[in-house]
Amino acid sequence: MKNGEREIFWGGEKLTLLPERAVWWARQKTMFIADPHFGKASAFRFAGIPVPETSHDDDLHRLEKILQRHRAKKLVILGDFFHAKTGRSERTLMAFQEWRARHEKLEIILVLGNHDRHAGGPPPSWKIQCVPEPWVWEPFTWAHHPPKLLSENFVLAGHVHPAFDLHERSGLRATSRCFYFGLRLAILPAFGGFTGKHILQPVRGDQIFLVGDGEIIDATRLIR
Amino acid sequence: MNTLWSKWFKKKRWRPFPFQEEAWLAYLAGQSGLIHAPTGLGKTYAVWGGPILEWLAPHPDPKHWPEKIEPLRILWITPLRALANDTVESLRAPINDLNLPWTVDLRTGDTSAATRRHQSEKLPTAFVTTPESLSLQLSRPSSREKFGELRCIIVDEWHELLGTKRGVQTELCLARLRQWFPSLRIWGLSATLGNLPQALQVLLGTGAQMGNAKLISAQVEKRFELHTLLPRSMDRFPWAGHIGLTLLPDVIAQIEKVRTTLLFTNTRSQTEIWFQALRDARPDWADQIALHHGSIDRKMREEVETRLRAGTIKCVVCTSSLDLGVDFSPVEQIIQVGGPKGVARLLQRAGRSGHQPGATSKIYCVPAHAFELCEFAAVRDAIAAGQMESREPIEAPLDVLSQHLVTLALGGGFCEPAIRAEIQSTFAYRHLRDDEWQWVLDFITRGGTALHAYPQFHRVVKNGDDYSVTEPLIARFHRMSIGTITSDASLVLKFLHGRYLGTVEEWFIARLRPGDGFSFAGQSLEFVRMRDMTVFVRRAKKSARRVPQWLGGKMPLSTQLARAVREKLAAARRGEFTSPEMRALAPVLNVQSDWSLIPNPDELLIEWTESRDGFHYFIFPFAGRLAHEGLATLVAHRLSRMSPRSFTLTMNDYGFSLTTPTALDLNENDWKLRLSPERLVEDLLDCLNATELARRQFREIARIAGLIFQGFPGAPKSMRQLQTSSSLFYEVFNQYDPQNKLLDQARHEVIERQLEVRRLQRALAEAQAMQVRLKKLARLSPLAFPLWAMWVQAQVSTEQWADRVKRMVTQLEIAADKK
Repeated sequence: MKNGEREIFWGGEKLTLLPERAVWWARQKTMFIADPHFGKASAFRFAGIPVPETSHDDDLHRLEKILQRHRAKKLVILGDFFHAKTGRSERTLMAFQEWRARHEKLEIILVLGNHDRHAGGPPPSWKIQCVPEPWVWEPFTWAHHPPKLLSENFVLAGHVHPAFDLHERSGLRATSRCFYFGLRLAILPAFGGFTGKHILQPVRGDQIFLVGDGEIIDATRLIR
Repeated sequence: MNTLWSKWFKKKRWRPFPFQEEAWLAYLAGQSGLIHAPTGLGKTYAVWGGPILEWLAPHPDPKHWPEKIEPLRILWITPLRALANDTVESLRAPINDLNLPWTVDLRTGDTSAATRRHQSEKLPTAFVTTPESLSLQLSRPSSREKFGELRCIIVDEWHELLGTKRGVQTELCLARLRQWFPSLRIWGLSATLGNLPQALQVLLGTGAQMGNAKLISAQVEKRFELHTLLPRSMDRFPWAGHIGLTLLPDVIAQIEKVRTTLLFTNTRSQTEIWFQALRDARPDWADQIALHHGSIDRKMREEVETRLRAGTIKCVVCTSSLDLGVDFSPVEQIIQVGGPKGVARLLQRAGRSGHQPGATSKIYCVPAHAFELCEFAAVRDAIAAGQMESREPIEAPLDVLSQHLVTLALGGGFCEPAIRAEIQSTFAYRHLRDDEWQWVLDFITRGGTALHAYPQFHRVVKNGDDYSVTEPLIARFHRMSIGTITSDASLVLKFLHGRYLGTVEEWFIARLRPGDGFSFAGQSLEFVRMRDMTVFVRRAKKSARRVPQWLGGKMPLSTQLARAVREKLAAARRGEFTSPEMRALAPVLNVQSDWSLIPNPDELLIEWTESRDGFHYFIFPFAGRLAHEGLATLVAHRLSRMSPRSFTLTMNDYGFSLTTPTALDLNENDWKLRLSPERLVEDLLDCLNATELARRQFREIARIAGLIFQGFPGAPKSMRQLQTSSSLFYEVFNQYDPQNKLLDQARHEVIERQLEVRRLQRALAEAQAMQVRLKKLARLSPLAFPLWAMWVQAQVSTEQWADRVKRMVTQLEIAADKK
């Protein structure tokens, strides 16, 4: 598919997985991302650890690119918008504010995650609607934390920063960020560039889509 | 000599060795220096006597001694926390006997908070500490005043610090103290090294002290015997058996002969294997054998050490954790399982036995595979000839410098340009370049040189020429992170009911599923769950054979020993089998000779064969495992540059193998060309981009430079938001701040230390002078077999990662469709 994207049918709907680490729901003209962790670099610098700021500029740029590509009307963020209170530096806030001004028509919804509780929500002037999880938009339920028990609904969540471990018989190892699609639970990769990874242990019946360099790669057959 | 001091020696029924008196006189004359002697020869009192004698000179009469305890006069730096307790005891002995108004105390990472608080008010007269704890002291602004009466610094086991970043950290701390107190005397204690004058210079730095320094050698011969437990028949002996357990009955018989034995292995996982084997074979010894390695809980280790000192234990299975320092007089013999790897190391281990004056150190060697017989024969020759390895000092690591400068900025600040002179008075930074210096200053004050990248960053605040730390959070954070010892993320191992067992490396646990069994500290355990950096286990019902591996233990064969091994092989080719080890090895060498060739030192043997898995090429430069890792990567890279192909690499101390799906078709000259030393560093850097090596090395650098906060049990939540992986930093820097000098350092360290570029250079240069002997094998030769059988350690491919993933998927799909 174009731009390295990949369409899948899940929960009776067509969803598009983007290598930029986002999900596009074409019927609703809505883009979904999880765990951007804006201001994480600033929080580190505040504690005396040098992390370049520019990584967040890249995140915003990437977001802009995919929203324009698909002419999105709506953006839903599945939690962890800001990383930490100390990360709400002036530069971080300004950068997003400018970005918001350029996309003022875009409707933005934030499903609140664990970091949002400590870091505080976005300023009201940004006009981001904050909703608690789980947030239902039929036929899906949207959340930050994946539910512990199998839900009756089809749930899409974040929080985990999923990655997949590739082994080769000869000993090569590599990990790659991925989308996880289970029976009724899907987990999005973390959108933020400066975020960690958590290795998933999927089982047969799950689907795994790797976020490769500019394309989505189906790794379902590699699940052991 | 002062009468009180000589009386004390007499009372102990000792007579001072000439080297001890030499050291005392030199100290009293205001000199600094380095004393080297085998362990158990009174090195401690050789340096301890000086400061005591100096104090006794103006205080000859005990009646007029002050009642008040003397302030801090001596700093004693020891590399091992485990050593500190014993050191304090031996230092206290004369103090207590003579009733001097002195105190001796220690502070290490293990010291309790209450003692610390007490110490921060009043320091003892002699302070025993580690390099890390000394650094921490220097981060307190009050230190200069508290150290006011400091006369002398003694660095114990200097050879252990030399050639490590901890050594560099020590150099920097010494430079600071010299700067404060120019007449300070610095003394080092060291085992015998190949480069002692250099060791002395690194210790004292490039300043004035060097001109008046003294190198003192204990001219006392210590008797030493090396025996090898020989396999009864070579047929039963595995060529690549990863453990020499076939010799277990002989080892048991040997242990039975004496009261106390130390059994050394080369890796922690082998200690577990041997301990289990001994216990299974001799259930009646259950209470008399114990296990000792660095990952086991301190309390358990101390218990073992106490029993060793008391002589109430039959055998302790251990690794390098018992290599050093502590004297366990009851130990009568040493058993070494697996190759000696180095001359100095084996001698050090042998010295753990026979501590009584006049006693002979005895070491019994157990080969883990056939060719180690040759190593034992070679090491005996090298010891007889006095060929000792050198420890190469490290040059200018910027991560350690960054950490140290922040420490100084905390400890009352520093100012330019005086600080630069101080830093350059150390050996490690004597040639520090302007751009490096400027970069480090930028790094700690602005985060880096990329101007736009680090807004609002302020770890160290620059005010004119003065530098200091103002944020309390940063101060706290830095103090918790001081030190240069890094390891793979280690997890705490606990029973479900909470009892602490020790630590294991994360990657081992990552391979376990709940319910899996493994063996740790001699117990069979079952993995239950992992939570917050803690691994919970319960006792397993059935015995487990899986043993945790720690990556730390892979010691390469030293150059000295490799050379001696080649000489031994050459002699064997001439038909000379002069030692019992070589005679035992003769049948194996004869097979090698029949099927292929025993290489002479001027020959480079290359064997190759074809199998179902592809074509295997075995190259034998005898340069040590680390150098072979580099050579294998280099050759694979050069070969695949001409036509992209995929290689599987394995390596051991004797050579390396390349496995590839199609034939290489190279003649002797072609091979020589691939082994050319030209463009070595460029080619290595090229392959580095394609491998994980630099990324792995960056972990240590990031930690030392203060990028990664490792966290600890019970760390506040606010700290957890600051945890991230080094590979993420590596990616972010590579993308957004490629000029970051820490990236250079990572590449440089991989080349210098992991790949041992100097040794590579030498090996390649030597290969050019050698005659290549290409041999097609009908069957795997004894030299090739271990490489063939070995666990695949690394893999290199010039194909793109994504292509590779796709290929893997396609292959698997085809295989799946066939079913």
